[in-house]
Amino acid sequence: MPTWLTLAKGPAFLFVLAVFALGLLRLIVLTVWDILAAVHRAGNRRMPYRQILRQTLSWLLPVNHLHRARPAYSFASFGLHVSILLVGLFLRNHLDILQANIGFAWWSISKPILDVLTLIGIAGAAFLLLSRIYVMSSQRLSRTSDYLLLLLLLNILVSGYLAGRDWNPIPYDELMLFHVLNGMALLLVAPFSKIAHCVLFPFIRLGAEVAWHLTPRGGSEVIQTLHGPQGRKI
Amino acid sequence: MADSPSSQSSPMTHHKYSYHVENAGEGNHRAEKFLSAFAAILRHSNYRFIVELFARTTARCGRCAASCQVYQASNDPRDIPCYRTQLLLDVYRQYFTSSGQFRSRILGEDALSEAKMDEMAECFYRCMACRRCSIDCPLGLDHGLMTHLGRYILSEAGIAPKGLVVSVREQLEGATANTSAIPLPALLDNLEFLKDELRETKGASVDFPVDQENAEYIFFPAVSDYLMEADTLMGNAAVLHATGTSWTIGSQYFDGINYGLFYNDWILERIIHKLVGEARRLKAKKVLVGECGHAARSARQFVPTFAGDQNLPVVSVLELTWQAVKAGKLRLKPGVITERVTYHDPCNIARSGWIVDQPREILRSFVSDFVEMNPHGRENYCCGGGSGLVSLDETHDFRMKVSGKTKAEQIRASGAQIVATPCANCKKQLRELVDYYKLPVQIVGVHDLILRAVEL
Repeated sequence: MPTWLTLAKGPAFLFVLAVFALGLLRLIVLTVWDILAAVHRAGNRRMPYRQILRQTLSWLLPVNHLHRARPAYSFASFGLHVSILLVGLFLRNHLDILQANIGFAWWSISKPILDVLTLIGIAGAAFLLLSRIYVMSSQRLSRTSDYLLLLLLLNILVSGYLAGRDWNPIPYDELMLFHVLNGMALLLVAPFSKIAHCVLFPFIRLGAEVAWHLTPRGGSEVIQTLHGPQGRKI
Repeated sequence: MADSPSSQSSPMTHHKYSYHVENAGEGNHRAEKFLSAFAAILRHSNYRFIVELFARTTARCGRCAASCQVYQASNDPRDIPCYRTQLLLDVYRQYFTSSGQFRSRILGEDALSEAKMDEMAECFYRCMACRRCSIDCPLGLDHGLMTHLGRYILSEAGIAPKGLVVSVREQLEGATANTSAIPLPALLDNLEFLKDELRETKGASVDFPVDQENAEYIFFPAVSDYLMEADTLMGNAAVLHATGTSWTIGSQYFDGINYGLFYNDWILERIIHKLVGEARRLKAKKVLVGECGHAARSARQFVPTFAGDQNLPVVSVLELTWQAVKAGKLRLKPGVITERVTYHDPCNIARSGWIVDQPREILRSFVSDFVEMNPHGRENYCCGGGSGLVSLDETHDFRMKVSGKTKAEQIRASGAQIVATPCANCKKQLRELVDYYKLPVQIVGVHDLILRAVEL
């Protein structure tokens, strides 16, 4: 294996993994802290926790939701999520790198299944990218980072898929370096981009509910800050 | 409001928004005021963490566009819930996060412009804060909460609809202490009239008690009901009479309306204090809210928040009536209503799942032909006048052509002759839709129909 690929799969990967894990951990800690502080400040601390949990869980496997709005987009997005998670976390080659770097890994899923999932992921990412380019509502919402992240995912999925094919026309080592570098880029940006939703997802519905639980005297304090003790008229 | 807002200034008012605003002309340092207000609100509230969380996670997938009736009708990208939320999140990122400030300096991003202010002022009042989009957001972003916050900041920067501000001013600082400016003697006359009506139509002596101490319930309807919804009030009183419930109306404060929910937390809290104060003055044990979606939600949600040790339970009149029906305390003649009836869910009580089945069970007990609109319940479409828009006459065109279009189509498709809805705001909007779209239906409150069915 060329030195640069060894480096990319070794010390560089370890560094990226540390940024990824610690970065996401930081977000989780900050968010949980913020929510606890908000609950503490709220005038009414009773929250419908069970209802929020039920709603949040129902979106983890959103079979009842996908068809309701933008079904094609929703299924493409769901396919992409499943693909990234399963292929990323359960491909033998990925787990070998993990084992080599941190000394442990877990069971893998068989390659043919993951191959199909990779194709689903490629189709999903391509559909989402085309939607962002051509569908007016998506286009108007999209920022540069939205396109770049989808391109990054496409790079990873396509290069990963090609690397496992006999008919791959690209030299394996170069293709693998491309794959690994894109993969590392994804891990690096995760804590600083919308990919953070991979760990913050469970806190969003909870957070929205908590935020509706306002702080007593908050409004008066705002008035005092803006207008001084004399306040303002309505 | 249906057309380009920048070209929609009314010649009557010379204001630049689609709603009238007091003293908020151009060159008024609106951006600076907005940022100061935003900073103060972030400092003294619970909003910072949620704005931060939304800013970190929003995926901008646009799925909300498909569930928003305003966007579906207007096809205007400004009406995509996520687009509107981004307006606020962008300001937050640029001015209130270190990474955003750094980025802004490096990239030389433009300061908050007058055009951006105009866009926010317009967009946040094209949303009814019905929160239907939140149901379909895979991440669970609450765009209604962002509309609420956006309006709150705007209002502290001097931009709030005159129609709401003037009403609240009368409610909190005026002589009549209610949004409809009804003087107490007029209210008392009105109650006498309602009593006489009930005696004539139902042959029963139904009381409207005022200032009775130690009652089980103190009653707060949308105060406009006293002017416009006699049947609803008589229905309420008939149920309370038939069930032997002890209740009272407070002479010093009798308005359930809380426009603070629509645009300002300071106002919201002051109105809650006023309501709780009157309940405590009369030593009532519970607050009973009349047929009004936002009044019920604001009291239910925010009495426990702001009342502190003065807290007391809040009950909707629909809950009370439903319990009476279930307990067999209320005799409603089965099949007495033969017209086809449908029920419109007010967003403020249905979206959370609080009041969805109760009115349906009540209605089904005496309506022979009850049909549903599709979708309904928690997933209902807003009447198109929610979040205070219906109180702004200048938004009429927008409410008819854009925000209320879906509801009008739903009503027509239901084939109903009567639409029952327990909300003063919904009723006003739906009646305007009926006129505008020439729908062959009558809009009534739930207790209007109960009044026809109840045996006293």
